[in-house]
This record gives sequence, C-alpha cells and structure tokens, in this order.
Amino acid sequence: MPDMPELTNREPDGTPERPDPDRARAALARKWAYLLSGVVVLPLTSHDLGQELRGLLDALCAALLAEPPTRAAEEVGERLAALGYLGEAGLRCTTEVLGKGLLALPEFQPVERFAARVLVGMGALTTGYLAADRRALLAQQEHMHLTLLKAVRDAKWHLKESEARFAEVSTLSANGIMIVGLDGRLIQANAAIGEILDYSPAELTGTSLYDLVHPDSAASLREGVLALLDGKRDRIRQSQSLLRKDGEVARISLTASVLPGADNRPSHLVAVVEDGTELMLLQGELRRQALHDVLTGLPNRQFFGTHLESVLRRVDPAYGITLFQLDIDAFGLVCHSLGRRAGERLLVHVAQQLRAVLADETAMVARFDGDEFGVVLENSATTPAVETIVAAINRELAGPFYVDGVGLSAVASVGVVHRPSGDLDPAELLRAADAALRRAKNGRRGQWELFHPDQDARDRRAAALAVGMPGAFEQGEISVRYRPVVHLADGTVAGVEALLRWDRPDADPVPHDACLDLAERTGLTLPLGEWLLRVAGGQVQWWRQRGFDVPLAVGITAYQAADADLVSRVVRVLGDTGLLPNQVVLGVPVRALAVPEAAENLTVLHDMGIGTALDDFDFGPDAMAAVEDLPVCCVRVASRVVRRQATTGGAVVGALLPIVLGAGATVIVDGVATDTEAAWWRAAGASTATGEHFGSACPPGDILARFASD
Amino acid sequence: MAQREWVPLDVDVSVPSMARTYDFMLGGAHNFAVDREVGERIERAMPGLRNAARVNRAFLGRVVRFMADQGIRQFLDIGSGIPTVANVHEVAQARDPECRVVYVDRDPVAVAHSELILAGNDRAAVLHADMRDPEGILSSPEVRGLIDLDQPVGLLMLLMLHWVPDESDPVGLMARYCAALAPGSHLAITHVSGDHQGEKLSEATDVIKRSNSPDQVTLRTHAQVTALFAGLELVEPGLVGCGEWRPRGPGDIAGEPGMNMLVYAGVGRKPSA
Repeated sequence: MPDMPELTNREPDGTPERPDPDRARAALARKWAYLLSGVVVLPLTSHDLGQELRGLLDALCAALLAEPPTRAAEEVGERLAALGYLGEAGLRCTTEVLGKGLLALPEFQPVERFAARVLVGMGALTTGYLAADRRALLAQQEHMHLTLLKAVRDAKWHLKESEARFAEVSTLSANGIMIVGLDGRLIQANAAIGEILDYSPAELTGTSLYDLVHPDSAASLREGVLALLDGKRDRIRQSQSLLRKDGEVARISLTASVLPGADNRPSHLVAVVEDGTELMLLQGELRRQALHDVLTGLPNRQFFGTHLESVLRRVDPAYGITLFQLDIDAFGLVCHSLGRRAGERLLVHVAQQLRAVLADETAMVARFDGDEFGVVLENSATTPAVETIVAAINRELAGPFYVDGVGLSAVASVGVVHRPSGDLDPAELLRAADAALRRAKNGRRGQWELFHPDQDARDRRAAALAVGMPGAFEQGEISVRYRPVVHLADGTVAGVEALLRWDRPDADPVPHDACLDLAERTGLTLPLGEWLLRVAGGQVQWWRQRGFDVPLAVGITAYQAADADLVSRVVRVLGDTGLLPNQVVLGVPVRALAVPEAAENLTVLHDMGIGTALDDFDFGPDAMAAVEDLPVCCVRVASRVVRRQATTGGAVVGALLPIVLGAGATVIVDGVATDTEAAWWRAAGASTATGEHFGSACPPGDILARFASD
Repeated sequence: MAQREWVPLDVDVSVPSMARTYDFMLGGAHNFAVDREVGERIERAMPGLRNAARVNRAFLGRVVRFMADQGIRQFLDIGSGIPTVANVHEVAQARDPECRVVYVDRDPVAVAHSELILAGNDRAAVLHADMRDPEGILSSPEVRGLIDLDQPVGLLMLLMLHWVPDESDPVGLMARYCAALAPGSHLAITHVSGDHQGEKLSEATDVIKRSNSPDQVTLRTHAQVTALFAGLELVEPGLVGCGEWRPRGPGDIAGEPGMNMLVYAGVGRKPSA
C-alpha cells in the first residue's frame, strides 16, 4: 500500500463555529504524527503512524472522560512508548501537540470545565510513558547484558573450538606445530615438535624460538620473520637447524606465516616444522622399495651391485668371494603352461630355497631380471666347494614344489666366478658370471660353468665387433673382394668367388668367414648376404660385358639358407642385375641342411637353374648323405680336410671322392696352399680349386688383370 | 573461514563500538557507557548529528520498501550493526512475510545481539564476517540457506563503506559483490561525506579517532561514492543527500539542511546481462 502523501497534505483549518469531533481528532492525530516522525525513528510508515496515533488519541479522549481518568491515560502513555525509541524528544513533541490540541477539540469545550481533566490526563500519560520507557530501557540494557554474555561466551566457544581443533590437528600431526608470539616466545607447541626436539611441550612453552634455532641459522629466521611482520611475505619456508635438548642438531624444514588478530594486524606466528629425519625414514623406505624386488623381497640387481662393491672392498683375500648367477630352467615353460602366477610362485620358492641353502654363509641372494638370481658369497674356512653348493642348490630346487596341485621340479643353470682377482670391478664380475651362465645354458640343463677369462675375452671381443658391424656396413667399411677359382688342370680361371671384407679403421681387416660369423650374431646376415650377391652379380655382369664371362660363386650362411625368403631374394637380385641363373653358384654349408627349409631352398634354387654347391664339405656322414639326396652340382671340400690330407695322406677322402663324383657333382677344393696339394687333388678327381696358391681375395680391378693375363 | 577460527575474539566493552554508538544516537539503550560517551562527544562536535542518524534510519525503511516494491524478497544487510529499531527484517517482513534477510557484521557483540533478536525468526539470520570477504560471505551457510543468488537480492551497505579504508579497495570489493548477484539485484549505499560539512565533520571524526575504536572513518566525495556503484544503473534521483532520496514524509528529512547532505544515499540496479 503506498504511503499517503502527507507532505502535500495541508491541515484543514478547524472552524470553532462548526465543530466536527471526528474531523478535529483526525486533524490532531495527523499533526501529532507529522511532528513526531520528524524527531524520532519509528518502524512505521507515515500512514501507519497516523493510524496508530489516531487510535491512541481516541483512547486518550475516552480516558479523559472516564472517572478517574488516570489509569487509562497511563496506558496510552505506555502504548506510545512502545511504538519505538521516542525518548525525551518524542515526549516533548507529544505533550506540546496534545497539550494545546486536546483543549481545542470540540468535545472538551468549554475549556474551563475540562482543563483540569486534560492536565491530570496528560500527567498520567507522561507517567505511563516514563514507566514504559524505563522498562524498555531496562529491557534493552538487560538485552545488552545478555548480548555481551553471549558474545563473550561465543568468543570463548570459538576460541575453545579453535583451540580444540588446534589440539586435534596438532596432536595428529606428524609435523611440529608452534604458535609463536610476536616476541618470539612459544605460546603453544604440539607433541610432534616436542619429539623432534626431545622436550615436553610444556618445557617448550615460553621458550624463545630463536633459542631453539642453531646460532648459524638464527639470523636468516629473524630476517624471514621480519619480512612476515612487515607484510612483505605471506609465508616463509626455510631449511633450518634446530637444537635438540641434548645439543644435537635436528635438520628440519620450517614454514611460518602470520596469524592476524582482530585488528587485522599480526598477532601471532604459526610455524610448522617438518622433521628431516622423518623425511629420511620415508626416503629410506622408498630406497628399500627401489632396491628390493617386490615379488620375492630379495635385493634387486642395483642393490646387489652396490653390495658386491662393498664386499669386494672388505673381502678377506685369503678366501675371496664367489659369485653365482643362476637361471631357472624351464621357467618359461612353467609360465606358459601353468600361468604367470605359477611362475611367480616358483620364483618365490626358488628365492626361499636359495636363502635356505646359503643360510649358514655370509651371502647375499638377489633376484635379477625374470628368472635370474645372483648370489655373492664371502668365503670362509668352512665354506663348501663350489660344486657342493651348486649341487645343494639343485637338490633343494628339485623339489617337488606344488603349485595348484601340480608338482614342479626346478633346475638351475649356474654361472660361477670363483675367487676372482682383485682388479675386477663389480660390473665386470657380474658380466663374467653372466657369460659363464650363458655357456652353462648352452650345455645340458642344470649345468654349471666356471668363468674362464681367456674364453670370455674372445667372446667379448666378438660380441663388441658384432654390435659394431651394422654401423660399419652403413658406413661403407665392408666391401666385396674376389678370389679366383681356377682349373686344376691348367691353372686358368674357372670363375670368381665373392667374399666380404671389413676394413676397420685402425685395426686389422676382418676376413670373410669372420664377417659372416659376426653377421649371424646380430641378424645382419640377410641384408648383408643379399648385398653381397647384388654387388658381385653387378660386377660379374660388368666383366661379362667386357668379354670376361666367368661364373660367380657365393657362399651363403646357415641362417640365409633357411630363410623363407631366400628364393625371392635371389630372384630379385638376378632380375636387378641381369645375371643369368646358370652364371651363379650358391654354396650352402652342409651343416645348414639339417634344417628342412634349407634343403627345400636348395632344391628350388637348383630347379631354377642356379648352380648349387655344398660348402664346407668334410666327407662326413651328413655331407655324403646330402650329396646323394640333394640336387647339387658341386661340392666344395673344406680347407681343414685339405690340411688333414696334407698331413695324413687322405686315404678316406680318396676313397669317398669317387662316390661324390658318381653322384654327379664336380669337386672344388678350398684352401689349396701348395703345388703338391693341387697335384694330389687333381689326381683324385677334383676339377677346380681356390686358395693362396692360386691367388688371394683382391679388389675387382686386380681380378680383371688376372683375367687378361690368362 | 580460517580467519574466523583463528582470530582471537576478544569482546572488549572498554572500546567504543560505532554500531552501539549509532544505536545510542537513535535513542536506543543497546550500548555501554563508552559508546554513549563517544556519542555525546560527537554530538557536541557536530550538533544535529542525531538527526543525520535518524534520517539514515528512515532511508533504510524507505529503501527496503522500495526494493520490495521492485519485487525483491531477499536482503543482505552488510554492516548491520546492532539492529535496533526499524530493522530490515521488520520492514521487509511487514511488506511480505516471505522476505528473507541475512545480517552481516564483524562486531561479535553486534552478532550476538542479532542472534538474540532473531531467535525464532527462521527467515532471518546473522553472519559473523568481515565485509572484505565477499566470497566467504556469499558462500556461507547462512547466506546459502536463505538467499538464492540466482534471484535478485537487495544488498544494503548503509553507513558501512566509510569504515572501509581505501587500502581495502572498496571499489574492487563492491565489484566482487555485484558480480555474484543476479540481474535485477539492487544495491543501496549510504556513506558519510565531507563534501558539505567538512570542517565540522573532521571534529567528529577526530573524536572517533581518539576513542581507540577499531572503526575509523574514510570520508569520500560524491564521485568516489558514485564509483562504488560501478556496473550498476543508479535509480532516480541518483546519489543524493540521504533526506533527498525519495522522501515520503517529514520524518524522512532533517530540519537542518546540512544534516540531509552529510550522508549520501543512492540505489543502483544491476542491469540484465
């Protein structure tokens, strides 16, 4: 409801000649409301106030006519006071308005008759007003006391609550928590900081923070606290040294910030201390996890390596150490057939057995990768012999050990490095043990093998070379050389053999056979072999175009021989180079033919019209069988057979050679070194030969000269 | 929240509170001797100041009714002080009992007082907070329980912002409040200014300064107060002397013209996005 626009209201003039009691009262009430609202604050709109005061005025008028007028008029005064904060101003305004206005109302005429009543009535109104106002005032003051009590109680409760929370947080916290006054004295400290410093929290209370800090680092803390108090920093974090009760230094990380007070100025500092030693414990646990195998709980390879290093430093040279590296045979088979979980349980079992066997010795058992374990044993006077230990291990592992009702029996292959010389570092020792293990695995299962330094050195050199070979091939360090194949009858060139040669910078060149051995280790054989055929094929074509038509002999390795793509590779090279099948003789080592795919390849190549040779022919049972069973056009007698013939006479070869020739194969002799040898083989029925006696492998240009001289 | 729990809440009645002094100026008795002493000294320094207080209080009633007439049914009164007479919830709920009101003050006594007054009124609540934490206030359980920020809000900052010094960035604070409010919300500000009564007023503010009260006055010019309404449309008649803002009766203006201009009053409306 909109307010009535009193401001525009004009009080109508009352005309005494024509009194209208109702109108006159309404006018008086409006005047009262108008003046009253100008001096006091009331929670009423002007309109509502007008209504209220009209009601009060009516009641007052009734009271003035009652007998006695006092009580009812007092009630009006009380009701007036209850409208709001009227105070003296409200009463003054009321008495002024009503004192004059009442006696002007028509019902109180003549004035003389009602003056006393109005006077007494106004007095009663004032009395009632005062009593009510005093009650309101007392009520407000009482209310204010309650308010104050409540505020204090709330504040205390908040404080208690926050103290309780602080207590809870600080009790639970593993971090030290200190509430510090601006003077640097500790007001509150939790149990954790007490533990860090070995004081009780009560002892710490009142102590200066700066007395707890190592003198060397106190200055940086003061500086930081100043920055906090100046508002330059919200938080400081420092690596600090605190002094423990016993004078020891506790390395901690301290974070401090300001607690503002009610006035928003700094009132306290709170400092949180992270215990460096706890951090170190945690780091220790992390380290433990990093150094141990999760499955078996044994140290892992990293830990083992570190341990080995320290063992080597402290070892008693009279007894030395023994290093074992074990590999569980058939572990893959267990995983494959019984599942991964079974494999894992087998590993746990092995770990337990190894520890049990070595329980009386100073030894560390570690799990390396997969199914490999390592043991470093610090020998003593009572340490059993290596073979005794290996036997004990395999006896324990032999089980049976049951996984899901299936009895398993584990056997370990073991590589052993026994009492190595003191100049080997841990990495070398581990590698030596690994090398010994590889050799043991190459033999019968459950074998053990001691590390032999000489053999290992060869293996290592070969391995290093093999690893470097693909790069060398890319770099063009490998080239193709050609060796003449000559007729034994007249010494003329019957063909050329293509050979590899690796010219290493600053080292001896690697000859053909060694190149192939190395290539077989890394899988380089296939691309390298194809490349050899391609380069040599192109070369032979080039020679043919210049009138020197010689067949090309190329040996292939066992790996190449069994390659499912061998035939397609050869066809591709022939297509690319234009070489005719009958211009090529591919030699396959006899031992490679044990693999069926190699024999198949040989047959297919032969059917294509390509010359097929049995390389490294030694007249053994396999070789003789091959020459009878497979379509070969020639055999190449191994140079070691030539050597033996030269020293023993070669009766067996002499007897077997006719069988070879009878099978339809021609015979090439490799490695003929002397005229005598050449004569012997010629007499025996061989047709061609290679060897130092007829010319060594050389660059293509030199061969061309040889052709020209024939 | 963190601050609320950490600040030691010392209730010190030896220090005057401007909220209680204001109550005294209005004729209330919700005050202590220190408050009345400061109130009387201010009154001596600036006779007629009681009328300025009364006029501001009358403005409160007017502006709440105005906002209610604009359809607003929820009010946030920040710096509510000691709700003495003609409170926001009284005025608003007289218009519509469904109106909801949250009072906010940082004075623990004012809060305790309000809690006592509001006990039993489930559409009004009081929050103990500092106005410089708009997000904390707007996300408090008290506000969330009674006020739907998707609906227009009547935000009241009456005789409040002159207690906020410039360092606290009142313009930025108001922008943060207004950003959180729905379009159609209204902001009412009354703010003491020295534009017309500078000399007399400085005597009064000196009294407050000497009183050790934590509340200290920052007088602002018309332009500075207008800046507090940034982003809002000032409704007619703009930022004017408190008594000149849509007066409806003699109670709305003071007899002394100076007292009408001592406090600027204005209402801004948040436009639709």
